[in-house]
Amino acid sequence: MTGERHISIIGLPSSGKTTFLAALWHMVREAGANTELSFDQLSEGNYEHLNALAKRWRFGLIQQRTQVSGARAVTMRLKDTDGRKAEVSFPDLPGEDFSQMWERRELDKGMLETLKAPLLVLMINGDTIKMPAWVAEWTTLAKRIGSKPATKEIVDWKAEVSPTQVKVVDLLQMLMSGDLKIGGRRLALLISAWDEVEGEGQTPAQVLQSKLPLLSQYLQSGRDPWTWQVWGISAQGGQYEDPDKDENFAETERLRDLERASDRIKVVEEACVSSDITKPLKWLIG
Amino acid sequence: MATQQLTCGNADCNLASDGKCVEGYEIGECPHTESLSLEDIPEAEESSTPLVQPETTIALASGEALEREDASVLQRRNVSRSIGLIGPNDAGKTSLIAGVFDLFQVGALAGAQFAGSSTLIGFERVCHLARVASQISVPHTERTSRGAEPTFFHLDVHQEQNGLISVFISDRSGEDYLAVNDQISQADHFFEIRRADCITLLVNGAQLADSKLRHEVKATTPQIVDALIEAGAIRKGCRLAIVLTKKDSVMASTNRERVERDFNGLVASISRAHAASLGEVKSFVVAASPKETEHVTKGEGVADLLLYWLQPNLPVASISDGELPKFERMIDLLTDTGAGK
Repeated sequence: MTGERHISIIGLPSSGKTTFLAALWHMVREAGANTELSFDQLSEGNYEHLNALAKRWRFGLIQQRTQVSGARAVTMRLKDTDGRKAEVSFPDLPGEDFSQMWERRELDKGMLETLKAPLLVLMINGDTIKMPAWVAEWTTLAKRIGSKPATKEIVDWKAEVSPTQVKVVDLLQMLMSGDLKIGGRRLALLISAWDEVEGEGQTPAQVLQSKLPLLSQYLQSGRDPWTWQVWGISAQGGQYEDPDKDENFAETERLRDLERASDRIKVVEEACVSSDITKPLKWLIG
Repeated sequence: MATQQLTCGNADCNLASDGKCVEGYEIGECPHTESLSLEDIPEAEESSTPLVQPETTIALASGEALEREDASVLQRRNVSRSIGLIGPNDAGKTSLIAGVFDLFQVGALAGAQFAGSSTLIGFERVCHLARVASQISVPHTERTSRGAEPTFFHLDVHQEQNGLISVFISDRSGEDYLAVNDQISQADHFFEIRRADCITLLVNGAQLADSKLRHEVKATTPQIVDALIEAGAIRKGCRLAIVLTKKDSVMASTNRERVERDFNGLVASISRAHAASLGEVKSFVVAASPKETEHVTKGEGVADLLLYWLQPNLPVASISDGELPKFERMIDLLTDTGAGK
């Protein structure tokens, strides 16, 4: 593990990309943190953006939406437990850029380099997965409970109404074709908001199979050369407050009361649970 | 007001530049002078190359159903199967296409995994009116436009034993296929049928259950196959799947047993008539996009049909002339509720 590694974080809007970066930056700099990757040294770069994200995260405040114009490149110099160093850069891209690829079938040229990274973190918000639902099944269910569905105006088809898994599969297919095709890549699939998902008692792989079966089949089929692994991740540990709404939650207060801020983080890989948010990155870097 | 300038028709005269007539006439009296209006001066032509704004975006593949050329390119990439869906309008062709994709949305089909698709937008479009997101009260599928060139839906499917197979399902208006009964030369346009590995003939179960419509279905459906074979549009050895659609309507009908008899008869007559031309005839009953799931499960029978599509064709030499192709009785398929699948 030496040299410069480029990892791109991709995901649809509100998938938790910025929160992940905030928690990561906090944790690698937290004194006494026991992580597979740790902070090595500051480079000449500007850390204002990362520091601002980590500060909000420590306060227990939700991150502001990533600005919609282009990427903010952030770079971290990290080292593993054997002292081998790597400079890891993460462009902080707004999720709208990825929705645009599905809905408008175009790609901003400025994203080209970012999306050609050989190492990718794909974030999917486990709490907001939109699954397809069928009229036939709802009609039958309504009949059984004696309810008459209300007549509504028919909604025309728009690409944005498609299920999450279809959008994500198409995004991954795009990364394996045309101008973005670079050959085999490593993909860390992170199901975020794990604190909202874990109550169902499933492992991340089981959630992938049950809530995103089309994506699960696509990855397992091996048609496109992804080397992939799935994790569940809760980068906040629970609900954070929106300062613009003057929110004040007992749950956020509980998180603030934890001994270390990084204790809020939960990273789940099959049966193994830890707070080490660097594990997926270590797996990516190898 | 346009200003005027005098010029002279004599090539040796410099009137325009020095204002003097070379032949000594007073200005205005020379018979060769002509007034030149500004309107006579041709406007400078606009640059033929318009200003080009630098492109800031890259166009990505549309994701829509494929046109013929694009499908041909993709077909050369992997082992592929071309499926020609034929049948009258309202037989359920688009619903079947949507039904296959929607089943993959909930999991693998009998060991066949979704491995990718270049027509995800196209699939999503045809699935919409069966989904709750459309707010429609009864599932519906848009009719394919008459006279339009067929398009192809693409699915890559992975099976443990067979590896990756690309499936291309053609979609053309049912009215176009019916037109072949009126004019056999119409079949010349059906390139998607000539290239098909498996022709899939759809028989509208709801219409077969309707006493007024059943005889029309029984008459016109086999006639489409007759015409296509006579026109040489179906290649020798091609497999034929005959699919009774809208099983939910059949199951809800009081004429269910009659539908079974009619369909069995229809399959038998097509098999008998075209044993020498077809590789195999197999029948299926599906509920690809049912209106309700009281009597059927959504997508019932579709997985079996997909597995059939994935099979390779028999070598033409193995088809013995005169021997009837295999087919199953429908009564078993109609009574199969799909439980345990």
